[in-house]
Amino acid sequence: MLEIKQLEFRYAGASAPAMHFDLNVDPGEVVSLIGPSGSGKSTLLGLVSGFLAPDSGQILLDGAAIEKLAVPSRPVSIVFQQHNLFPHLDLFTNVALGLDPSLRLTRQQVSEVTAALERLGLEQLQQRKPGELSGGQRQRVALARVLVRKRKILLLDEAFAALGPALRAELIGLVKNLVSENKMVALLVSHQPRDALIASTRTAFICEGRVAALDDTVALLEQSRLPEVRNYLGTL
Amino acid sequence: MTQLNPRAIPAGIVLALVGLIILAPLAGLVNLSGLPGYEPGDLRFWHSSYIRRVLSFSLWQAFLSTLCSVLPAILVARAFALQMNFPMRGLLLRLFALPLVVPAVVAVMGVVSVYGTGGWIPFGKSLYGLNGILLAHVFFNLPLAVRLLLPQWQSIPEHHWQLGDQLGMSAWQRWRYLEWPALREALPGVMLLVFMLCLTSFAVVLTLGGGPKSTTLEVAIYQSLRFDFNPARAVVLALLQLVLCMLVAGVTLKLQRLPEVEITLTSGSRPQGLLQKPLDMALILAATIYVGLPLSSMLIDAFGGPLLQIISSIYLWQSIAKTLFIGLSAALMSVIAGWFLLQYSASLALAGQTNRARFIDLAGSIVYVVPPLVIGTGMFVLLSSHVDVFNWVYPIVITINALMGLPFVIRCLGPALRQNHARYHHLCQSLDLQGWNRFRYLEWPLLRRPLGLAAALVAALAMGDLGVIALFGTPDTATLALVIYQQLGAYLIPHATVTALVLLLLCLGVFWLLERGIGGKPDA
Amino acid sequence: MYLNLRYFGACLLALIMSFAVQAATPTLVVYTYDSFTSEWGPGPQVKTAFEARCSCRLKFVGLEDGVSMLNRLKLEGNNTRADVLLGLDTSLTAEARTSGLFDAHGMVLESWSLPGSWQDDLFLPYDYGYFAFVYNQERLANPPSSLRQLVEDEQGPSILVQDPRTSTPGLGLLLWIKKIYGDEADAAWARLSQRIVTVSKGWSEAYGLFLKGEADMVLSYTTSPAYHIIAEKDSRFSAARFSEGHYQQIEVAGLVQSSKQKQLAREFLKFMLSEDFQTIIPTTNWMYPAVLASDRLPAEFRQLIDPSPSLLLDDKLVASKRKAWIDEWLEVMSR
Repeated sequence: MLEIKQLEFRYAGASAPAMHFDLNVDPGEVVSLIGPSGSGKSTLLGLVSGFLAPDSGQILLDGAAIEKLAVPSRPVSIVFQQHNLFPHLDLFTNVALGLDPSLRLTRQQVSEVTAALERLGLEQLQQRKPGELSGGQRQRVALARVLVRKRKILLLDEAFAALGPALRAELIGLVKNLVSENKMVALLVSHQPRDALIASTRTAFICEGRVAALDDTVALLEQSRLPEVRNYLGTL
Repeated sequence: MTQLNPRAIPAGIVLALVGLIILAPLAGLVNLSGLPGYEPGDLRFWHSSYIRRVLSFSLWQAFLSTLCSVLPAILVARAFALQMNFPMRGLLLRLFALPLVVPAVVAVMGVVSVYGTGGWIPFGKSLYGLNGILLAHVFFNLPLAVRLLLPQWQSIPEHHWQLGDQLGMSAWQRWRYLEWPALREALPGVMLLVFMLCLTSFAVVLTLGGGPKSTTLEVAIYQSLRFDFNPARAVVLALLQLVLCMLVAGVTLKLQRLPEVEITLTSGSRPQGLLQKPLDMALILAATIYVGLPLSSMLIDAFGGPLLQIISSIYLWQSIAKTLFIGLSAALMSVIAGWFLLQYSASLALAGQTNRARFIDLAGSIVYVVPPLVIGTGMFVLLSSHVDVFNWVYPIVITINALMGLPFVIRCLGPALRQNHARYHHLCQSLDLQGWNRFRYLEWPLLRRPLGLAAALVAALAMGDLGVIALFGTPDTATLALVIYQQLGAYLIPHATVTALVLLLLCLGVFWLLERGIGGKPDA
Repeated sequence: MYLNLRYFGACLLALIMSFAVQAATPTLVVYTYDSFTSEWGPGPQVKTAFEARCSCRLKFVGLEDGVSMLNRLKLEGNNTRADVLLGLDTSLTAEARTSGLFDAHGMVLESWSLPGSWQDDLFLPYDYGYFAFVYNQERLANPPSSLRQLVEDEQGPSILVQDPRTSTPGLGLLLWIKKIYGDEADAAWARLSQRIVTVSKGWSEAYGLFLKGEADMVLSYTTSPAYHIIAEKDSRFSAARFSEGHYQQIEVAGLVQSSKQKQLAREFLKFMLSEDFQTIIPTTNWMYPAVLASDRLPAEFRQLIDPSPSLLLDDKLVASKRKAWIDEWLEVMSR
């Protein structure tokens, strides 16, 4: 279980008040984060992944504080919208880097990489380079790497924004399965309310550096009385 | 929780070393007042009309030279960028690296062969003065600027070209919306580099300048340190030159815009109108002729010289070995130092601290304008009382040459490294891809081309160096550049032209070796 | 791999042994100018000849020119490795004397071929020459016959000269004109400057430009044509004889005060005045040897012009006035 407790952060030199986050994610759950640009969604992911250091507060994974850990030692995997893969390395190597950055793989690890690529339907393509793949396939490779890394927290930063609706739905379904199979916790940032509907039972609405609402996804998207939410969704 | 940026440490060490290597000798020189025969310098020269005249001439000729070199270079680089496929394109680009390594004396002779009284395009006596200075400086710097600007076109993403095509942009609009924004990242830095090269130019100005009217600050420094033996004054003038350059840098770099577009490697053909190709080819031809004429006059002279006699001399081969050793060592050192500086400045840029990032780049580049004569003499003062300087000639010569090469490394490697950092740094962190692994799997494959160009430039520059090596004397074998000078000094002008050809070919070879060896095949 | 290692080991051993050998024989360090040490200069022959008689090693350190040598010695002071400085000239000896870094050579001076008498306890001349304007006879039929004519004839030939701030001949011409014109030197320079094509950094640049045909005459030495006659069998070049006489340059060597092997150093100075050394000079340094009788010179030297009377300003006067004179020159030439 991921607990974000009174996490405060303020950009150096910014005049806006400090951001403040409280949020819990249960094992196997994907929580979607929606909200206007600049509201703090990416900041929250940055704090969890360690690219940003909080001014105060805690991030607990299964009760253990992780907010002071260095980026590489955090139990976190991230999928960005782009540049998840190194263009000059083949798929196998791109995934294998997730297991061991020095690429000295044991036989066991080699088969793990192969299995992950198979799980995502990429086994025929492992010698290819990312440039030869479609956008959806590239993100699948990134997910294969998430799989081999076996980290508990998965952050998806508009990971599927560039893909078509059907492909998006398919990949989000895949993420859901991966997360629940492996009892991971996931945060998914998206601008598509439909993504949240597919991915999450619960969705958080982030606004002005706060979790302004955290509710059942359907309830939040369709029945919220908060003017900010309705404004964001264009249903005001 | 504030963590020290791990890139700050090696960069800090490099900066500290650079600072030490520059400032300690200056301090050492100022401290010389106890020397026999030394009279405390009259430092009120600030009021002298001589210095004021020298100052304004230095700036004026450097300014004009920069304009005359860089503006045409933009057109030529654009022509090269748009015409991706024509015979000898690669060879021409490599040819464009050559003028930089020609020792100034030899280049002056080449320029005179072409534009002198008996030349192919005679200017007559009007060559000597600003005309000659500009002709020679453009010969040196236009090709360099072309080489440094060309990668900016490659940084324009393929889909931007397609977008422009789809929107039916005219050539001018494409320039305005696609090319100029990409160029703006590199242009100020390149202009600053060319400005520094011209400001500190010495033999060209003295020989083609026509007389002491055309005295630059660099000459005044040389005079103070050598003929007047007034180190304090030389130091003050050197600092003046440094401050001037920093002012110019401040203004120039304000114009710099870091690109918001992202770089993708492209190789497709460029959309172009009917006239574009003939126009571009004409530009390339004109630039090639301009650069090629003095070079071919050297070639013709050399083939008239005692080729066999020189090539069969053991002495020549020894000096080739020494030249290679100095060139390659300086390149290695310079590339390593520049690498650490750029890593740090890239991480600062990613964190939004662009001003600090620029400062780091600037600090690495600006050392170029402290004359090697001053650094070298100062180092000498510091070292000679502690160690036997004879054993230190090569380390010192290599170090100073490496320092002088830093601005080239920063120009060549900077944009690509920054881009790479911005794109993959977070991913690398999250994958724990660090240090050697990060270098091996990410940086080397993606950065080897600019790395190769940087190393090649520094090596070639160090191989053609005369200023530093001449200063320390040559206990044993002379480098090729020095041999050329010795031959010129011994009436052996035909021999010197042959040696100059050998140096040119050697530089071409090293360039090819480093650019290909480090950079890989062009299509890789 | 094995082979490589073995090869490396052998090299290392050779290197160590060569150091050991070096340590055993004394090494005499001579600072000189670069062109002296080059393959074509006197250096290699002098080294062989001296090492054959001294059972020592002779090590030349080639610096840019006389000024650099003296500056280097001043910078190093008593830490210098130099035992002898070879290649200062008479415009520097006064300054070198006041530095206090030289010791008496202690030699009795005998027969000189050098015009005039040489009296100096610190410095010994080894060769000398005269500045002159060299021209191509095919191009310039009637060269000026005096310095005054060169300066004052407005239709006169175009010339290439060197900068007195950076070059020895450049300074030589400055002194030459000072010697002839005295206080009117600045006016003379103003007239002459009309016909100066360019003022180069050093001798090499100016001479190179001259050979490329950039001007009618170049400031060089009376002995320059000897090079073309002997080495290139080309007798087109000649030096113009000026009736006022030619300014003289005398190159000298001195014994460094802090040297730890003065015995050896004095031996070298003695060798410098011996026939073995002196006969090397004419066709490598292209100057007149200081001791050798004129009939021992190569025959071609007899085709050269007679530079007499030789002109020379007092070295102490030069030392005290040089800076002011150069400033005056700068002022005129920058107009």
